[in-house]
Order: sequence, then C-alpha cells, then structure tokens
Amino acid sequence: MARRVLVLVGLLVAGCASTGQVSLGEVREFADASARLGRYAELSRRYRDTYERESPYLSPQGERVARDTDARRRAVFDDFVAIQKTLVLYMQTLSSLAGDGRYDLSGRIDDLGSGLKAMTDSGLQQRHVAAYTGMTRLLTRVITSRYQNRSVDTMVRDGNADVQTLIDAMTVLTRIYEKANENERKTVLGLFNAEIPMANRNTDRMLVTLAKVHLQNKTAEYKLIDRRYKLAQQGLTKVALGHQKMRENMDKLSSEETRHMLAGYVHDLNLIRDALSGE
Amino acid sequence: MATSSHSNTDQASDEADTTLPSATPRQEAASSLPNQPPTPDAIVTTVTPGMPPAAADGHDVDGATRANALSNMQCVVDLADSVVCIADDLHERILQEIAGYNDRTMPDAQKALMRALTDDERLLRQYAHALYADAATFVIQDLKEPQHRLMALTAEAAEKIRRIGVIGEVTGLVGGILLLVGSIARGQFSQVGAALKKIQLHNAALKTLKPDSTART
Repeated sequence: MARRVLVLVGLLVAGCASTGQVSLGEVREFADASARLGRYAELSRRYRDTYERESPYLSPQGERVARDTDARRRAVFDDFVAIQKTLVLYMQTLSSLAGDGRYDLSGRIDDLGSGLKAMTDSGLQQRHVAAYTGMTRLLTRVITSRYQNRSVDTMVRDGNADVQTLIDAMTVLTRIYEKANENERKTVLGLFNAEIPMANRNTDRMLVTLAKVHLQNKTAEYKLIDRRYKLAQQGLTKVALGHQKMRENMDKLSSEETRHMLAGYVHDLNLIRDALSGE
Repeated sequence: MATSSHSNTDQASDEADTTLPSATPRQEAASSLPNQPPTPDAIVTTVTPGMPPAAADGHDVDGATRANALSNMQCVVDLADSVVCIADDLHERILQEIAGYNDRTMPDAQKALMRALTDDERLLRQYAHALYADAATFVIQDLKEPQHRLMALTAEAAEKIRRIGVIGEVTGLVGGILLLVGSIARGQFSQVGAALKKIQLHNAALKTLKPDSTART
C-alpha cells in the first residue's frame, strides 16, 4: 500500500515537474491566436441573413422558396455559433492553463449549459453533437475546478479528438457558406448583367448609371466576403493541424523543433487574422 | 408544385427543333449518355464531369452511419452545385441572346421573355440555396437516385440551353428542370418521377423534330 502511494506521489511529482520544466509560451500563444480567430461568428451571421439581402431581387415565386429557406437557416444558427463559442472557450482555457491569466472564464460556464438545441434535425452529425457534449464536459470540469490538477498535456490529450471533430463541423459549414455566397452573388449581379444591356433608351440613362454604380459596389462586396470565407477555412485548417501536432508532441513540448513548429502556426494564424480584420 | 413560369409554352417549344452538338469538355465526358432519354440505370452509372468527385463516390458508401451521413451531406451539396450549374448556363444563354441585339432595341415581347427566363434562373438559384441549407441543417435520406439523375441531366440540359437555336425553346426544358429541382428541394420525391418524364419527353421532342420545322418566336 505504502509503495503504491509512493508511486502515485512520484507520478504526480513527475507530472508537475514535466509541466513545470517545459516552456508553455508557444502553447499559450497558439491557444491565444486560435481563440482570436473571431470573425467566424460574423460569417455565420452573414449566411443567416442571406434572405434579407436577396429578397429585393427575387420574383414572387423565388421569394416564397427563399422565405422557407430563411426559416431553416435561422433555426440552426444558434447551434452553429455554439460550436464556435465552445472552441474559443477551449482555447482560452488552454491559454489560462499555460500560464496566461488574461481570460476570466468564471462567467463563461453558463454559456455551455444548454447543449445543442436542434439535435434531432441539426445537420450537425451525431459525432459533432457527441464532440460538443464531450468538449463542454471537459471545459466545465477544468474551469469549475479552477484548473487544479489539470495540466496542459491532459487538456490537450483529452480534448484533441473533440477539437478536431468540431473544427471539421465548422469547416464543412464554412464551405457551405461560401457556396451560398457565390450563389447569392450570381442572383444579385446576374439581374443587372441582364437588365443593363436591355435598357438602352435615352430615358433609361439615369437608371442605368445608378444600376452600374450599384453593380460595382455589390461586386466589391461579394469579392470581399468570398475572401473572408476562404481565409476562415485556412484559419480553421491551421488550428486543427496545430492542435494535432501539439497532441503528438506533448512529451517534447520544450524541444526546439516543437516550439518552432508551434510558433509557425501562431505566425500563420496571426497573418490570417490580420488579413481578416484589415479589410 | 414547382412549375416554370412558362409551363404554357411547353407545347410550342416541343414543336421546335435544335441540333445538339456535344463539343464542350463537359459534354464530351458525358457523351456516354444515349441520344434518347436515358433509362434510370444508364443514368445512375454515368459520372457527370465537372462535379466534385464525391458525387461519383458517394453512393458506394453503405457501411458506417457516419460515412453514410457524410456521403448524404456531400450528396446534397453536389445536387445544389449541379442546380447552380444549370442556372449558370441559362444565364450565359440569356446574356448571349441579349448581346445579339447589339445597340438595337429589343422588342417588348422579347424583353418579357428574357425577364421571365431570368426569373426562372433566380428561382433555380433559390432551390440551390434550399439544398445548401438542407446540407447545412439536416441529412436528407433517399436522395441517391434523384441525385444521379439530376447530375446526368445537368450536362445534357445545360449544353442544350447554351446551344439551342431559338431562346423561346428553352422555356419548356427549364420548366421541367424547375419542377424536378423544386420537388427535390422540398423533399417531394413522389413528384420526381413525373418531373423527369417531363424533361425526357421534352428532350425527345427536341431531338426528333427536323431543323427546318424550327418555330421562331
């Protein structure tokens, strides 16, 4: 019995020592950079509001179909955002565990309570829902225990599978957002491309001029949004890869190679974030 | 019921004729499609070019639920993509018709037809939106057959829309496609068969009529 206790204490000490010795600076920076990839919610909102933007361009028949689609988009919006919020909270918690006290997570537990509402008819597949549940459980445990007995490597090891699944869900959704944006662009711009050349009477001149200005603005708008969707997908891929690599190299976090690799992901994520916010 | 705003023109357009060249890369790869309306079996084995590869692979997955769910989701996205494809080609054909007038003023009747067709184009895009929303929100079941049929029809119909001699002839075809896509987008699979028949009849009529019997609008 005494020996068993000794072994246990030894393991605990070893665990503490291993976390204590490594430099967690890169882990913290990676978690920070991942948590700040924050424009995802804005892109989800943009998708949710497709109908509002499109409706002036639709025929009555198209309008009817569009209204129905609008209701379906709105019904699941909260779930899409909940997934993103959970991932952000995970990254913030990881950052706190790695020694950064900048995030006050005490009030954030409430965000995790409700689970995904539209579980039965959400397109999120069963594995996405399971990952969400697993992740919220992990976060609740870590945050309510005030990080006691939780180390960075336990968190990363326990969380990796769910992180990967949730990022996968977000990536799939972002691809769909991107496709819907392209379809919307063609709906809106297509109308002008057909109408402008048909309006060639003298009395149409003012109208045609206004239409051309509108067309220019809308063309620029859709190009910008398309770029954001692409950047968001790149960012998600980087977060997924970075976390996976961290998981694989947990036992050699302090090695030059691992630190360099993580720093590389941080660099890329910051570039993507700057590109997203600099427009 | 999703019907074209021009279903009344079906009769007229069925009397028309068109030649059906198959010169584009998309059509070349789809050249395994028989000249007559293909049987469902023939369609199912056809891989439509220009579509994401998953569209061709998806129906092989019968194993784990997860794989099924993924393939169904991809299936719906591919369906939506192919609807967008048809709308794109219809749009190109409309612009081409308009450009043909150069600086001449288009007669009002022709303008009305163009506008009706752009309405159809945008209605097709709304169905694509509905399918994208489906893909994002829930996994549709039993979509394999309509998917493959629509994929096969896409290449043929889109090419026809671009090549068709007189644009008025497009309306019957677009009406059939709208019915098909609308049925699928709203999960009314019982109507899919009727819609396919409509499109196939229209295609058959277009093919069998001689060029000199072309009805000009």
